[in-house]
Amino acid sequence: MNTFNLPDLGEGLQEAELVSWHVNVGDHVVADQPLVSVETAKAVVEVPSPCSGRIARLIGEPGDIIKVGAPIVEFTDDGIADQDAGTVVGTLPRVPHYEKQPHLQAVAEGAEHLPMKASPAARALAHELGISLTSIEGTGPGGTITRADVEAKADTKPQGDGYELLRGVRRAMAVNMARSAIEVASSTVSDEVLIGHWPRHTDVTVRLIRAVVAGCRAEPALNAWFDKARMARKFHANIDLGLAMNIGDGLFAPVLRNVAARTDRDIRASIDALKQDIAARKVEPATLAGPTITLSNFGMLGGREASLAIVPPQVAILGAGRIFDTVQPVNGEIRITKALPLSLTFDHRVVTGAEAVRFLSAALAELAKPT
Amino acid sequence: MSELNLVQAIGTALRRAMTEDARVLLLGEDVGLNGGVFRASDGLYKSFGDGRVLDTPLAEAGIVGISIGLAVQGFRPVAEIQFAGFAYTCIDQLLNHASRMRARTRGRFTCPMVVRTPAGGGIHAVEHHSESPEAIFAHIPGLKVVTPSSPQRAYGLLLSAIRDPDPVIFLEPTRLYRAAREAVSDDGVGLPLDRCNILRSGRDVTLVSWGAMLIETLEAAERLASDNIDAEVIDVTTLKPLDSTTIVDSVARTGRLVIVHEAPMTCGVGAEIAARVASRGLGSLLAPIERVTGFDTMMPYPRTEAFYMPGVDRVLAAVRRTMGYT
Amino acid sequence: MGAATVTTVAQFTIPFTRIVDADGEAVAGLPAFAEDQNQLIALYRAMVLTRTFDAKAIALQRTGRLGTYASSLGQEAVAVGAAAAMRPTDVLVPSYREHGAQLWRGVTLKELFLYWGGDERGNDFAGPRQDFPCCVPVGSHVPHAVGAALAFRLRGEKRAAVCVFGDGATSKGDVAEALNMAGVWKAPIVFIINNNGWAISMPRAKQSAAETLAQKAIAAGIAAEQVDGNDVIAVRLVVERALERARSDCGPTVIEAVTYRLSDHTTADDARRYRDDAEVSIHWAEEPIARLRRHLARREAWSKEQEEALLETCHRDVEEAAASYLETPPLPPTQIFDHVYAVLPADLAEQRELLTSPRGEER
Repeated sequence: MNTFNLPDLGEGLQEAELVSWHVNVGDHVVADQPLVSVETAKAVVEVPSPCSGRIARLIGEPGDIIKVGAPIVEFTDDGIADQDAGTVVGTLPRVPHYEKQPHLQAVAEGAEHLPMKASPAARALAHELGISLTSIEGTGPGGTITRADVEAKADTKPQGDGYELLRGVRRAMAVNMARSAIEVASSTVSDEVLIGHWPRHTDVTVRLIRAVVAGCRAEPALNAWFDKARMARKFHANIDLGLAMNIGDGLFAPVLRNVAARTDRDIRASIDALKQDIAARKVEPATLAGPTITLSNFGMLGGREASLAIVPPQVAILGAGRIFDTVQPVNGEIRITKALPLSLTFDHRVVTGAEAVRFLSAALAELAKPT
Repeated sequence: MSELNLVQAIGTALRRAMTEDARVLLLGEDVGLNGGVFRASDGLYKSFGDGRVLDTPLAEAGIVGISIGLAVQGFRPVAEIQFAGFAYTCIDQLLNHASRMRARTRGRFTCPMVVRTPAGGGIHAVEHHSESPEAIFAHIPGLKVVTPSSPQRAYGLLLSAIRDPDPVIFLEPTRLYRAAREAVSDDGVGLPLDRCNILRSGRDVTLVSWGAMLIETLEAAERLASDNIDAEVIDVTTLKPLDSTTIVDSVARTGRLVIVHEAPMTCGVGAEIAARVASRGLGSLLAPIERVTGFDTMMPYPRTEAFYMPGVDRVLAAVRRTMGYT
Repeated sequence: MGAATVTTVAQFTIPFTRIVDADGEAVAGLPAFAEDQNQLIALYRAMVLTRTFDAKAIALQRTGRLGTYASSLGQEAVAVGAAAAMRPTDVLVPSYREHGAQLWRGVTLKELFLYWGGDERGNDFAGPRQDFPCCVPVGSHVPHAVGAALAFRLRGEKRAAVCVFGDGATSKGDVAEALNMAGVWKAPIVFIINNNGWAISMPRAKQSAAETLAQKAIAAGIAAEQVDGNDVIAVRLVVERALERARSDCGPTVIEAVTYRLSDHTTADDARRYRDDAEVSIHWAEEPIARLRRHLARREAWSKEQEEALLETCHRDVEEAAASYLETPPLPPTQIFDHVYAVLPADLAEQRELLTSPRGEER
């Protein structure tokens, strides 16, 4: 440790006031580098370092009076190695010494990829149904358990506590209706139309389909899809009508493509064919996909008005209730006639009340025609 | 509306951008008098002069570097790097400066610039001219990476890129430059830079791709249709920021994912897409995710280039593997 | 058969300017501003403030309250002289050793502490809004400066860019590209090579075989000169003249300011590993602050009282700024996501939630 004393500043001066340090503790300084400015009677003087070294201690604060010959700086003489931070930026943490682990032999290269025990979708389904994968034999590639394998197992699995698992179409209904209820801002407007003047044996379903076409023409906004993620809607040039049907246990809505361009006879023939296919469980999934608007003639079973569930991305469903007898005043006389109630449920996120009413009015007007 | 190919659509977008915003500059090698080696900027020098279209010395890093200075000063430079293979030298300027200028100055400086470059192979070019560097740029925070697959989309995407307040790397698939023409509307409408485009709806498998590989991907979808396999085709379009929602939603409906890209497999953008689908949509997967990509090799010289490029057959094979899982 | 005739097609000279020598004596005619002692005192005050800040920064680093710091000890004249020659509407594009220039241009002491202390607010200058922040990747800022200068030219503005970089930077490709483009486009820019003799451990002689670094300008077709970088009067003079030329559409200039790095490269470096203390001692005799002080003393333009008062003022201002910096809490963690893009994309917004959700868990 070297101590540096305030040198003789000349002119017989015995002391000086410390004005400002130019270096810090820990700095490495070289000979002639200014260490401190001191004020004498005559001037402010920079005091240079007598040697190279590292500052260990600065003795004195600005304002102190230092006597000539008194110690002002202490140097320490560290080797270079101790000071080497070993980096040019930041600080490198020093890692504690650790026991070297023996090298583990890498596992030998196996097949390109291992077969899946079960696909993630099958696995998720099994979990949902509470079925253990170990109880299932997989029929997929390499013995993978498929969703079908899981469902087959589910079919045979008793619930034990009185509950019966929903499967197939019922299951799909539970899922779809829940989704519809959460997403759709449902509103319903209803009205009725007098149809007493219709010819006998009028095909009510086909007339209703024509009414939907008329409604769509008057108000295309109801023949559209809504993409809520993008906040966008897509108008459809064609009307692919979903026709709700109750067959056996389930609710099906096969799609009649481009109904506006088809004849009544053609439509009726398609409906009949579909009914048969569905009853025989022969319908293709594509037949149920992508309706632009749906019609439910629930009145065939009963009921007058209903708010029906809209399955996104559709924005509207027209429901027709049971035709009922009603009275109509004509020229002061009471006449008995028939009325057909209509309920239009629409997604108010996308369709305005005015648009819905326009649609409905056009549908009613179409139905009001004799043929 | 004119029938334009992709490079003409690019030129139309450049002209539109330069007309509507006096801050837009075009700079690069041979972009002025020569109209660009691919004629992307044909006619622009004549229309706008050397105050707006700058022919630069041969210095890619410098081109991007001065673009940064121009952008910070309020211009909207569109820098052309003649080939993606020459953009590697710009990575320092892009990664160390353009991408982080806004963040490190807390918005005091911003970098609204576009780097356009022809990328991808299949054009029988000499070495270094068939690079697919999208993953390198997509990895860098603060950049956007866009690649069009059709003339109309190229027009709309480039307009949005130029209008974007942040630096955008715009990779133009060289193989598509003159591949097909379509009616392109010069309506000034920009396309969003954070959205995938679904080019084909389907139920059975989701095919995800971008750039020139959409040719093979769409062709594969056509061939699959005749085998009654209904493929959904998604053009990612903007690789960064990545719209994984569209892809995850699609896989939720189909249960099968095949990603097709020309760039080498390891650490390609396909890996990122696969990771996001595995993370957010694992439960919907029926089959392992497939990637049909370039090999982890250099793009070979032209005589064997065709063996490297992922062809329709490799895509079909991958799809068939996924269809084996129900 | 005669000998072939060889003609000389190009030659160059590199002038060197010094006004005041190490003893503070004028060895050339004083420029007009130097006749005015108040202007010189302003330069002196700025250099002393810079050095005071510098010492405090080192002290803070040593006590763990500042990050790695690059001292400008001995190089104050290059920074202050250059900045003093600039107009407010000009733009400074510094490396990371021009603290004196930043301070002159209105960057606050606190902003400098924030930057070196590791806080991005240090780059959000309240004062010189168009000056560039420090550039760490050596030489990579020089093309930016040319771009900014080009912007002035394209808009017809009478503004210039001043770009400062070190001797090491002159070996970088970016710098060669930038000089070349500046020359081709006659960009209104002044390049200043802050040649302090060392690029970490690489002495100037091993950095380039060229006799001067300024002559790299010749290769770019632009004006080149050297100046004594420890003579703040000379530095200001040559930079002023170069800026005049730049603004009058006479093109760029490269000024090599020859000075010396009296400190280590940064606080994490120990120059004793590669450089002799004896050499450093010699260069202390040429340092810029003592030199100007001696010159002012010769002209009886600077008193002991003024010196003491200045040291006290600088000390107080620096201490105040340091205290303010130390009291400033760090930015909240979600700020990591601000300013990545103009509008945060959805996937980044999801990542940001990892910082704000109660247990920081992935959903």
